[in-house]
Amino acid sequence: MNTIISIGDLSKRYGDFAAVSNLTLDVTEGSICGLLGPNGAGKTTTFKCLLGFTRPTSGRILLDGKPLEPATFERLSYVPERSSLYGWMTIDQHLELHRRSFEHYDDARARDLLSTFDLDPRKRVQRLSKGQQTAVSLVLAFSTRPKILILDEPASGLDPIFQRFVIDLMIDASANGATVLFSSHQITQVERAADRVAILKKGRLVLDAEVDALKSDEKVVEAVFDHTVPGLDVIANDVRVRRFERSGRIVRAYVHTDAGEIMRRLVEFGPRSVNILDLNLEDIFLNAVEAGRATTTEKP
Amino acid sequence: MATIFTVDPRSGIPLYVQLMDQIKRAIALGALSPGEQLPTVKALALELTINPNTVARVYRELERDGVIETSPGRGSFVRGDGLTGNDGRRVADDVAQHSLTDAIREARSLGLGRRDVEAIVQRLLDRWYPPNDVLENS
Repeated sequence: MNTIISIGDLSKRYGDFAAVSNLTLDVTEGSICGLLGPNGAGKTTTFKCLLGFTRPTSGRILLDGKPLEPATFERLSYVPERSSLYGWMTIDQHLELHRRSFEHYDDARARDLLSTFDLDPRKRVQRLSKGQQTAVSLVLAFSTRPKILILDEPASGLDPIFQRFVIDLMIDASANGATVLFSSHQITQVERAADRVAILKKGRLVLDAEVDALKSDEKVVEAVFDHTVPGLDVIANDVRVRRFERSGRIVRAYVHTDAGEIMRRLVEFGPRSVNILDLNLEDIFLNAVEAGRATTTEKP
Repeated sequence: MATIFTVDPRSGIPLYVQLMDQIKRAIALGALSPGEQLPTVKALALELTINPNTVARVYRELERDGVIETSPGRGSFVRGDGLTGNDGRRVADDVAQHSLTDAIREARSLGLGRRDVEAIVQRLLDRWYPPNDVLENS
């Protein structure tokens, strides 16, 4: 599989503040990668570096194998977190601008998307709500049949029906071979749409893996004891254990791999019961952001 | 074709595992017949609102397992001659084994011994496969 979005050892500092530190992330062709992270984790800065809006302090960015050049933008669509439309122009005028700027602009597709988002093309952008402005940005982004889509919080301000439609648009684009990198606060969107997830915390990548591989590997091993047992620190300190919790007679080890082996080791302490529990992406996200230990799982 | 599959992206079970189980189950139950065409990767991804690469992976693995066959340009089809054939039988085995594994794992985690579990299984077998049952020896 070709790597379409390649970020190598990217760092961006603003004075003393490290917005992004040594970020390496590759997104392969046709993949949808969801970028998650708390506010201020560096998601938007990463996008700005990707698009050349701001110059990285160090590192390398390749889109479709090449450094950013004017031709890159012919097949790249970007939807910023805050709309960058012209308030005084109508939606129609924005379409006209896109028609003149992009060789692959598809007017029928744009009109179709406008009606799906229930937008009146005669309206000026300044008369639209924030959600409607996001929708216009999305219509423009998807009307040029892009090969690369970079979407910063693409569903923000949209109602649940339109949010679902944004996911449909990403799925459709991916099925047609486009590569998508998007950020979101809504983990369920990533869980649905993305085959890959990257989690940033304070500018650093704390997790980068296939969503399905993560769910296969990340488990909780839960053991119930009749009394408190000494010596469990060896389990708590195992490199495979991300987080270790003890509440009364219940012990939980959050592991990022080898749940079966950790279970066997816990059994040696003679628990009353022991079980392996699944984790959804929200649990995994919270564990990664709280513990912050870096792990990477590779594609099989 | 209206989809007969449902997946839960919020579950901790990988989506490809969920979808693969569902398709195997549909074949084992006869909801999908041998020779029947499956939706395209794109159509099923949009129908279920899940990543197309996940659907493509499921189709690849089902093809590798001999459950479906894909011919370029025509699409993917259910293989074999249904539950009576070897393929269909193996699919049914897979589905049943999956459910039984979960149940036995649960019993073990509750601290039941092998003998206890064997006794439960025996009781259940007697209940669901009574003497002279049509499926008793098949």
